[in-house]
Amino acid sequence: MELFFNLTLNGLATGMLIFLLAAGLTLIFGLMDVLNFAHGGLFAWGAYSGTWIYASTGSFFIGIMGAVATGMLLGWIIEKWMIKPVYGNHVQQILITLGLMLVLSELLKVVWGPNQISASPPDVLKGSWVIGDIIIIKYRVFIIAVGLLIFLIVQYILKRTKIGLVVRAGVMNKEMVQSLGINIHKVFMLVFMVGAGMAALGGVLVGPYSGVIHAGMGMEFAILAFIVVVIGGMRSFPGSILAAILVGLSGSFMAYYVPDLSLAVNMLLMAVVLIFRPKGLFGLKG
Amino acid sequence: MNKNRSMFMYGIMILFLLVIPFVYDSRTLLILLTQVFIFAIFAMSYDLLLGYIGIVSFGHAMFFGIGAYTIGIFMKRFEPTMSYLFIALLVTILLTAIISFFIGLLTLRLKSHFYAMLTLAFSGLFLVLAEKWRTMTYGNDGFTFRVPDFLKDRTEFYLICLVLMVLVFLVLRRFIHSPLGRVILAIRENEQRTESLGYNVLHYKIIASVVSGVIAGTSGMLYSISLRFVNTSVFSMDITLDALLMTIIGGVGTLVGAIIGSGLIEFAHHWLTEMAKTHWIFERWIIFFGIIYILAVMFFPQGIVGTLKRLRWRKDKK
Amino acid sequence: MNVQLRLNEIETYIGQYHILQGISFEVNRGEVTVLLGRNGAGKTTTLRTMMGLNPASKGVIELNGEQIHRYPTYTIAQKGIGYVPEDQGIFPELTVEENMKVAIKKENEETSERQDYILDLFPDLKKYWKRNGGLLSGGQKQMLSIARAYVNNNKLLLIDEPSKGLAPIMVEKVMESILQMKEKTTIVLVEQNFRMASTIGDHFYIIDDGKTVQNGRMNVLRENEEMRRKYLGIA
Repeated sequence: MELFFNLTLNGLATGMLIFLLAAGLTLIFGLMDVLNFAHGGLFAWGAYSGTWIYASTGSFFIGIMGAVATGMLLGWIIEKWMIKPVYGNHVQQILITLGLMLVLSELLKVVWGPNQISASPPDVLKGSWVIGDIIIIKYRVFIIAVGLLIFLIVQYILKRTKIGLVVRAGVMNKEMVQSLGINIHKVFMLVFMVGAGMAALGGVLVGPYSGVIHAGMGMEFAILAFIVVVIGGMRSFPGSILAAILVGLSGSFMAYYVPDLSLAVNMLLMAVVLIFRPKGLFGLKG
Repeated sequence: MNKNRSMFMYGIMILFLLVIPFVYDSRTLLILLTQVFIFAIFAMSYDLLLGYIGIVSFGHAMFFGIGAYTIGIFMKRFEPTMSYLFIALLVTILLTAIISFFIGLLTLRLKSHFYAMLTLAFSGLFLVLAEKWRTMTYGNDGFTFRVPDFLKDRTEFYLICLVLMVLVFLVLRRFIHSPLGRVILAIRENEQRTESLGYNVLHYKIIASVVSGVIAGTSGMLYSISLRFVNTSVFSMDITLDALLMTIIGGVGTLVGAIIGSGLIEFAHHWLTEMAKTHWIFERWIIFFGIIYILAVMFFPQGIVGTLKRLRWRKDKK
Repeated sequence: MNVQLRLNEIETYIGQYHILQGISFEVNRGEVTVLLGRNGAGKTTTLRTMMGLNPASKGVIELNGEQIHRYPTYTIAQKGIGYVPEDQGIFPELTVEENMKVAIKKENEETSERQDYILDLFPDLKKYWKRNGGLLSGGQKQMLSIARAYVNNNKLLLIDEPSKGLAPIMVEKVMESILQMKEKTTIVLVEQNFRMASTIGDHFYIIDDGKTVQNGRMNVLRENEEMRRKYLGIA
């Protein structure tokens, strides 16, 4: 059963990383009707900036904070200068965010060079616990913990605070929210920045998990995140974590048993869901 | 009056291009221009989708790659003769038509975002398929193959591609001005109204996407013929991005814009790659284009050709 | 007569459709001004233009002398205008309580009083306080929508066809509530139900083909059968 446990842990950890990306995408799409194809770029920037800050300061924690701050800053810039001006025009949005993804990825290479950079966890999170036959890698547990924490925090904000209420209302009916006197653009900006911050967090966490970071990782994870967003329901926040765990677990098990098929199966799943149940497996009704 | 003038201009350009290989003795230029023609065809097929119907596809590389691999596989496994070339062409047309029909049927009724994501997914699937099906595709490494004799000569191939490009341009022009094409333009203007007028919008979108896919497939064929080599890069996102850049920067919805965009991008790529040998920053040329592309989408949705048209129109008004 | 709101030659396009081609009217403080007209005449669009949801391309809108037609929707709402749209605009997956909460700009004694007042007027809302808005009946949704517009100290309410699709007894209720609110706020009402409109309205404007074509005191319209037949298609 040790194998099963390991694969599960691995899957959960990967799932949490994808969730961090997908959660932002879901909120942004749900509220703003914008599918941010550049989200993967924010993930990659989080990875690079976080790893660099960690290396420069010696503190993993500061690295994480730095990454999130970078993500949020980039998010602010992107929303203000590129998303807002084309708001309402889907084709332009899609084209711009894709172009942005390209530019962000290439910019990474300009700043940090085209080669891979290695990353490792801080000492306190290195190694594993051993319980009987089972080896539990500490860093994976850490990722799962962070992911869960973020989920709980955001869920709490959505359900129990006024701003969360406004966001949920905005997802249902933007016009009405404005008619009630609420500046929806400020809310958009906030959600976009939070989404960007989460993506960057995912990025900085993934480095020590996989050992290396490279400029293409943004696109890789982004595709998985899109799959999760579709499966989980394009506007459902709880749906996104469930779908992320599902995709993470299935990826983990398949990578072991039938490695050739794993990505293909995920994409097929997305295609099937898009075609037959566009609202996702866990999406909102009606 | 305007139409005649542009026709005249185009005629001159074509004459000029026809004459180049006989006047200018540069193999590099010939090969470069051939690439421009091939990608112009690809970009025009993309323009049909984006500029004329308003659909964003992230999977156009799929059709390109199908064409590229089909000809490669046929040439390698059978014989590099004209008859097999012809069969490969038929197979490409059939495959691309069926796949674009299938995908179109399933996804064109969804919102633009979904179509973009789905085409991204399918394109990715094909990439994985090409990587894993080593017996057919030799995986990432790809394979070389021989081509029928008459295509071997660079100059002849150049002329063939030029002719094909002009042909595709004329055919698409005809298509757009046909009754079928008019409905498609109406869909771009106002989908709901066209639908309420009784047209089955989905039907027309699918037709256009099939036409687009088939043309993209043939351009892929030409591409791998020109290289005599094919590998998984033909299915990569880079190819789709190329089409995007060319169409947007050149000018969506103009067809000519795709040709100009192709010229710009291919020349810039070539020139900047040369420059990269001296200074590393030029390797990141794509950022430059990415930024231009973003600016174009935001401020010049009509691209170069469109903006020029508008300027000329304004001048004429005076 | 104190003019609170004035529209002057408002024109609005939706896409390429020239929906409003010249709307002009005045709303007096404390009165119920009714916008009448056939289906598709442009009544709903007029309200939406007033709220900035479909901004006017030409013309001027003045609220207490201030020009508001270029303001974004939320600024217009913040000026003290409440909007009850044709489809009620209820947030379906939020409870009645949450629907009200979104609407309340600042929770203080005054809004608390107003909320109590309106909940007394619409006891159903109190009963289904924790139920999702999407599960309410048509009449209850209408009540919720009106309650939301009322709870802030809005000086002007725009109400779009509140009686549409409601059973007669619900229509009575809605009418009663509007009459009560009339004491505290000015109302612009779009209404096809002539009986309701003529009972609670003080002044009317008839909109035809995107233009304001007639106006006058409501009691006059009550008497004038020819005008009613011509512009409203009713006897």
